[in-house]
Amino acid sequence: MEKVVIIRYAEIHLKGKNRGYFEHVFSMNLEKSLKGIRHELHRTSGRWLVAGFPEALAEEVAARIGKVFGVHSYSIGYLVDSDLGAVYDCVKLVAPEEGSFKVVTHRGYKKYPLTSMEISAEIGGRLLSDRPQLRVDVHEPEHTVYIDIRDGGSALVFGSFGEGAGGMPVGTSGKGLLMISGGIDSPVAGYMMAKRGLIVELLHFHSYPYTNEGAKEKVAELAKILSAYTQVRLLRTVSVTHIQEEIHAKCKAEFNVTLLRRFMFRIAERIAERAGAGCLVTGESLGQVASQTLEGLTSSNAVVKLPVLRPLVGFDKDEIILRAKKIGTYDTSVLPYEDCCTVFLPEFPATRPKLAAVEAEEAKLDVEALIEESLATVERITF
Amino acid sequence: MIYLDNAATTAPSPQAFACAAQEYREWYFNPSARYGGGFAVQKKLDGARKNLLAYIADPAAFELIFTSCGTEADNQAVFSSARRGNAVTTAGEHAAVERSFTELKNRGVEPRFAPLLSDGRADIEALLSLVDDKTSLVSVVHVNNETGAINDIADIARRVKKKNPRTVVHSDGVQAFGKLAFRLPKEVDLYSVSAHKIGGLKGTGALLKRKSLALAPFLHGGGQEGGLRSGTENVPGILAFAYAAAEKFPHIAENYEHAARLNARMWDMLSKSGRFMRISPADGSPYILSVSVAGARGEVLQRMLFDRGVCVGTGSACSSKNRFSRVIAACGYGEDVLDGVLRVSFSPENTVEEAEHAAAEMISVAEEFKGKF
Repeated sequence: MEKVVIIRYAEIHLKGKNRGYFEHVFSMNLEKSLKGIRHELHRTSGRWLVAGFPEALAEEVAARIGKVFGVHSYSIGYLVDSDLGAVYDCVKLVAPEEGSFKVVTHRGYKKYPLTSMEISAEIGGRLLSDRPQLRVDVHEPEHTVYIDIRDGGSALVFGSFGEGAGGMPVGTSGKGLLMISGGIDSPVAGYMMAKRGLIVELLHFHSYPYTNEGAKEKVAELAKILSAYTQVRLLRTVSVTHIQEEIHAKCKAEFNVTLLRRFMFRIAERIAERAGAGCLVTGESLGQVASQTLEGLTSSNAVVKLPVLRPLVGFDKDEIILRAKKIGTYDTSVLPYEDCCTVFLPEFPATRPKLAAVEAEEAKLDVEALIEESLATVERITF
Repeated sequence: MIYLDNAATTAPSPQAFACAAQEYREWYFNPSARYGGGFAVQKKLDGARKNLLAYIADPAAFELIFTSCGTEADNQAVFSSARRGNAVTTAGEHAAVERSFTELKNRGVEPRFAPLLSDGRADIEALLSLVDDKTSLVSVVHVNNETGAINDIADIARRVKKKNPRTVVHSDGVQAFGKLAFRLPKEVDLYSVSAHKIGGLKGTGALLKRKSLALAPFLHGGGQEGGLRSGTENVPGILAFAYAAAEKFPHIAENYEHAARLNARMWDMLSKSGRFMRISPADGSPYILSVSVAGARGEVLQRMLFDRGVCVGTGSACSSKNRFSRVIAACGYGEDVLDGVLRVSFSPENTVEEAEHAAAEMISVAEEFKGKF
């Protein structure tokens, strides 16, 4: 009898002739997520099994597996010889002491002497006589015990399902660069795109000394939380201090944010190209703040060729917050560090910047030189 | 690094630190232990208590209770003394008193806040007008930690007692202890001090109390500190506190003169640059020089200065929340001034050369900032 974690996957079965590739990437991601824990990963019919780990780490293994995209559900269970006595010994470990239950048997090995119904009835009967507090309810049981008789004389026994992260294996949809601010939205956007198989690398803009080291550390902390899902352990930061100063000195205050966003997009595109990323990802949501109006988004899009993915564009703040809480980034996101000094905030930002007006303001700046200067400040934080 | 943030904390005196280290290594006995080691430590503790008390108070009239910090001393003073009715303080208190007074509201005591004069001192007439026969406590900071303004707490205490003899008078003396030559008058009932503002270690404070005043314990337990502050005493911290105080008090007058020289030299340079406005009153504690670069952001200047090797404090934040210093706002300044506040605070170890160098860097970052905005 050995403790194992059983993994069922989500959409990979849809992938026809590419299925082998998707499965390969998926298994690599499972391996990465279990880094540091001794284990073996086995591919079986339609699922994966993690075995060979120290029993005490079963919950940790399951928790990590639960964050890997492509996992539909997982169970902690036992791998055991398929003779009925051995199976029943495991059933006793996963079955409840009281309440209603049923036994569900799946018989993959068709030459097994009993049918699945017979196995369920026999195991259920033994449980009932050993544990008088239990009763059978095949329609709405409080607990279900699953038995899976496999080819080769082994069986899996487990009692519950954990919900997986769903989605596609990270790496099967290419690579993108997430502009991460330290707020609530951008980590959620990164999570959502990683869920669709994108490798999400991270870029953070800071304006030290107008912002402080605490803000950068907060973003690094968010990056760490995200990495449990994305397996990306790198954060790039870049300074836009001088750009903000130049905009402030030379351009109309109402365009401050719009102009800064355009610089950020350009810088992100250059860094994305270097990193081999095929798209930008932002946490923008239509109309949430002055810079996220349709005109604001248009003005940013106008300076880049790469597609900009905005998975939160149609989400309410409440919906985003719910997701941030579920992912585990919310508590860090709301820590009080500012991503912009009040000195740069205009009293009345332009909410509907006309592209022509924005471009006219921007013409007052040496855009290319400022971008080059900014690119020279890129730092890489690995963790 | 030129360290001019001594009102936040001071670098520990090397001798005081060595004294604590030795205590940690060799004299780790619990002072409550009833064998030789315990008695010896208890004796040291009592010696430290006696010395610290004698620097500023009459040992016949006052006693001293060790606490974990100035904040604890303030909290114990406020929550022990404010009962029913109302309690009066000023708009210029350290957060340890200000937040405690706000909390009083939840405990059925009406907190009353007297305004400040523009020089940062409490408006005594206004304060007295808030005192009535239901006032159980008056708490007034001795030296304001943001501006250096000095309140004449002896005069305030006398006048409060005249109006209501039953009112307990407390003062937060954290920025005054070891810096101003001062004797505690009998009208002041409670006085808070802290070790790490005079070269001691963090984690040690004390509450001085008039002997005849009944005080409620804040922490209950083993009955240490006469039952008023249970918990095994932080003996190394307390002895380092006494050591640091012994280094400061004999030189209190010359240190004061030295701080005044540093303060005057810096202000001379800063004022000539035309970029700085003085927040600190001319007759405040020379250990604190609070200035403002109108329209700048204190927090940004502070980081620019840190990167150039000069460490100062600030009374403003870059964030939109808690942007301004509550205390300096209470002096009546507008947003422009409040945004650009820097607090320079000295220790006797600072030199005139350091002050000059720091002033030059402050002028330089102010010019740089103002050149951009």
